[in-house]
Amino acid sequence: MLDFFTIFSKGGLVLWCFQGVRGPAAAATAPVNALIRSVLLQERGGNNSFTHEALTLKYKLDNQFELVFVVGFQKILTLTYVDKLIDDVHKEFRDKYRNEFQQKGTLGLLNGTFDFKDDFMRLLRDAEESSKVRAPTVMKTFEQSLKSQKTVKCMIETRGEKPKEKVKNKKNKGSKKEGTEAVAVPGKASAGDKQPSAAGEREELTKDEILQKNREEFFKRHMKAGEKSSKSPKPEAQKEKGKKPRVWDLGNSNAKVLDYSNSATNGSAEACPVEEFDPDTALGDRNREPGRLYDLEYESDDEAEEEKVIQNPSKPSAKKGGLGGMFGMLKGLVGSKSLTREDMDPVLEKMKDHLIAKNVAAEIAVQLCESVAKKLEGKVMGTFTTVTSTVKQALQEALVQILQPQRRVDVLRDVMDAQRHRRPYVVTFCGVNGVGKSTNLAKISFWLIENGFSVLIAACDTFRAGAVEQLRTHTRRLNALHPPESHGGRTMVQLYEKGYGKDAAGIAMEAISYGRWKTVGGRRRFGGSVPLNAASLSSPARNQGFDVVLVDTAGRMQDNAPLMTALAKLIAVNAPDLVLFVGEALVGNEAVDQLVKFNKALADHSMAQTPRLIDGIVLTKFDTIDDKVGAAISMTYITSKPIVFVGTGQTYCDLRSLNAKAVVAALMKA
Amino acid sequence: AMAGMLEPHLEALRRELRAPDPAVLSVLLALLAVAITLLIWRLVQGRRSSRKAVLLLGLCDAGKTLLFARLLTGKYRDTQTSITDSSAVYRVSNDKSANVTLIDLPGHESLRLQFLERFKAAARAIVFVVDSVAFQREVKDVAEFLYQVLVDSTVLKNAPALLIACNKQDVTMAKSAKLIQQQLEKELNTLRVTRSAAPTSLDGSATGGPAQLGKKGKDFDFSQLPMKVEFVECSARGSKGEEGDADFEGLEKWLAKIA
Repeated sequence: MLDFFTIFSKGGLVLWCFQGVRGPAAAATAPVNALIRSVLLQERGGNNSFTHEALTLKYKLDNQFELVFVVGFQKILTLTYVDKLIDDVHKEFRDKYRNEFQQKGTLGLLNGTFDFKDDFMRLLRDAEESSKVRAPTVMKTFEQSLKSQKTVKCMIETRGEKPKEKVKNKKNKGSKKEGTEAVAVPGKASAGDKQPSAAGEREELTKDEILQKNREEFFKRHMKAGEKSSKSPKPEAQKEKGKKPRVWDLGNSNAKVLDYSNSATNGSAEACPVEEFDPDTALGDRNREPGRLYDLEYESDDEAEEEKVIQNPSKPSAKKGGLGGMFGMLKGLVGSKSLTREDMDPVLEKMKDHLIAKNVAAEIAVQLCESVAKKLEGKVMGTFTTVTSTVKQALQEALVQILQPQRRVDVLRDVMDAQRHRRPYVVTFCGVNGVGKSTNLAKISFWLIENGFSVLIAACDTFRAGAVEQLRTHTRRLNALHPPESHGGRTMVQLYEKGYGKDAAGIAMEAISYGRWKTVGGRRRFGGSVPLNAASLSSPARNQGFDVVLVDTAGRMQDNAPLMTALAKLIAVNAPDLVLFVGEALVGNEAVDQLVKFNKALADHSMAQTPRLIDGIVLTKFDTIDDKVGAAISMTYITSKPIVFVGTGQTYCDLRSLNAKAVVAALMKA
Repeated sequence: AMAGMLEPHLEALRRELRAPDPAVLSVLLALLAVAITLLIWRLVQGRRSSRKAVLLLGLCDAGKTLLFARLLTGKYRDTQTSITDSSAVYRVSNDKSANVTLIDLPGHESLRLQFLERFKAAARAIVFVVDSVAFQREVKDVAEFLYQVLVDSTVLKNAPALLIACNKQDVTMAKSAKLIQQQLEKELNTLRVTRSAAPTSLDGSATGGPAQLGKKGKDFDFSQLPMKVEFVECSARGSKGEEGDADFEGLEKWLAKIA
């Protein structure tokens, strides 16, 4: 049932491969490569299964000998024996070829022939059989069940449990009628106090045996008491037989009688007496200053309590680990000790809390620590290294890995490319409200102008008051800093705006076509009416195009569906070269939600096969955080897209690029 | 009379040598042991610090791991994306005494710089493997990685010999080494400008590095670099496929020269 099973070293050599049901050998490489790239290299190794197209892949890492075991099977199958199979294969393979790994090293891997097929087939057969043994159990026959052993009498229902009749056997219905009268006696006698229990039992329609037991006990207890008052309930039992129509008290009277509203007071203000208005209770605080808005008060005591609660459970574990930890440390210093989950757990807990204290989103910190644990489990530590240092080292490597860009981050190179193709390079800025889109747009346009590219700013924020004026001020300032005279008569930055209230996607499209290279004058004319006089015919064609078009959009919350649709439409229709998500470094767990929802909205509303998602992140307000730089990790982890720019202030020069090592150093600093 | 006076001193000395004071002797022995250990350690350090490593660098799927396997064993092996480095000692075919340590580094974007950091100090030579078939598509990524390797301060200081191996020549669509050289020179020329103009890094150091590749004012050329650069064509898979040998005489000759 398996598609394939591969064993390969972390260095990339395939040691052994099993081709299962179908497919050539090459069919295994592509899914495994996808697994490596998306799970192992992006530190998502928390859960050990991965889906790629039609296959589900499960994997296991051997960190001692640096091996990876991967099994692939069809997604629609649910094979229960796969986990156990991987563990068994892992143990067997490791024991069988232990010598080659330990002594010969890489050459052993290269030269060794790993003839594992027979062992593997045996393990596979064992695993399949063991899963078959746990097949669905056969249903019990009626003779085997407890029901057949009970007497008929205890199966008969009393008055209190009338709805139960439908659940019972048809066999007992006949006998029930005869016994109803006799049983109704005890039932009625204590019907009062049995009602609440009956109501409870009535709801438990599925627990037949419990009910029977209860009923048996009940009958035993009240058998004697019931016999005395046998006569009175009889007529009532007879009455029960027929079904009587329900009678409403006021059913015959007309609507008028039922109208309890005081018609005299409806709609007339005078009829409503002015209630006793107490300004104190309405306003609350008499002594407040009129018109002032007070700050939000928060209780810091709650936080202190939470910390105490969290510390308490960690204390007993620390005490327990005290003596054992000392021996473990000594053992770790001397010999070659392999790391187990229990050794790493306290350290990982501390690292997780440290990361969360540094403003990494909570779920991402958890996933990161899980992935690091998976990578280190079973690894043999060298001499003079403690568990803490190994885990810290691994976590540091993982963080640097996450922050390394997965694709090229070179905006200037791409702008040059677009310049060569004579079309503008379009960048769109999106994000929630107040993160700094317009400010950083101005900074980026300053940087581009310094490098000799002309910029057209498209004001697609048609909602926020003052957005267009803000961009106009920036344009004026930038033009003052880089006047056209110093750039050969070319205006380096221009604003394209259409005021407020218009459709943003339309403005973006117009701006892009405005920024496109056109030839003005001469025979070829695109757009606009240029009078064909002798002067324009003889003058050379003037190229008026912009190298970069920066599109500023309105800030929007990720939960606001209509606005997200509008943004997705803008991006789908205009197909920008770069979609930048602007996020502030102060954001905490919200970063995860924002990015996920933005990406989802862009993917949902795009008509193309491969939708345009966020291509890069701009991290702003970096100067406001000292070393709580966790937001960078959260954002890159969620999207696996690089951080293209970092904003560190409000002047034009406050634009930086990310340095992964510096950020990780600040993050790991105690 | 003199001999009479020396006699008791000589007797004392003889007595000392015969029954030496354990404290003094042990101190002397300890000092001797420490001195010997220091000498040995310095010798070993000296031997280790001489750079004997040849690094195999390149983008993902360039063929580094297969090349590594072929060089060491001559056999074809299936490979997957590498996650860690692999290293082994490679003996040059005819010369038994010359050997180098071949180190195969992962090419994935998230790992390559980390591993380069770790091994660049020990590098005597660098083999940069390029996928000749996908080169046209990947030229910018290849150039960027090559640029990052070339402007690294340690690499510039040590100036290890650089060989750019244009792999996958067994496929008909593969580009020739000459074409690859021209394209890389053009691309690196542009990268010089764009990378030095990139915004400065967070902690103040420029991303492009203070080093300037080649000579200012002139177009970039591989001859302007402080290290020796050669281009060679090879095919790790070999023209006969998995059963035959790999075609990399140029690479082997170069390795023999380096060792």
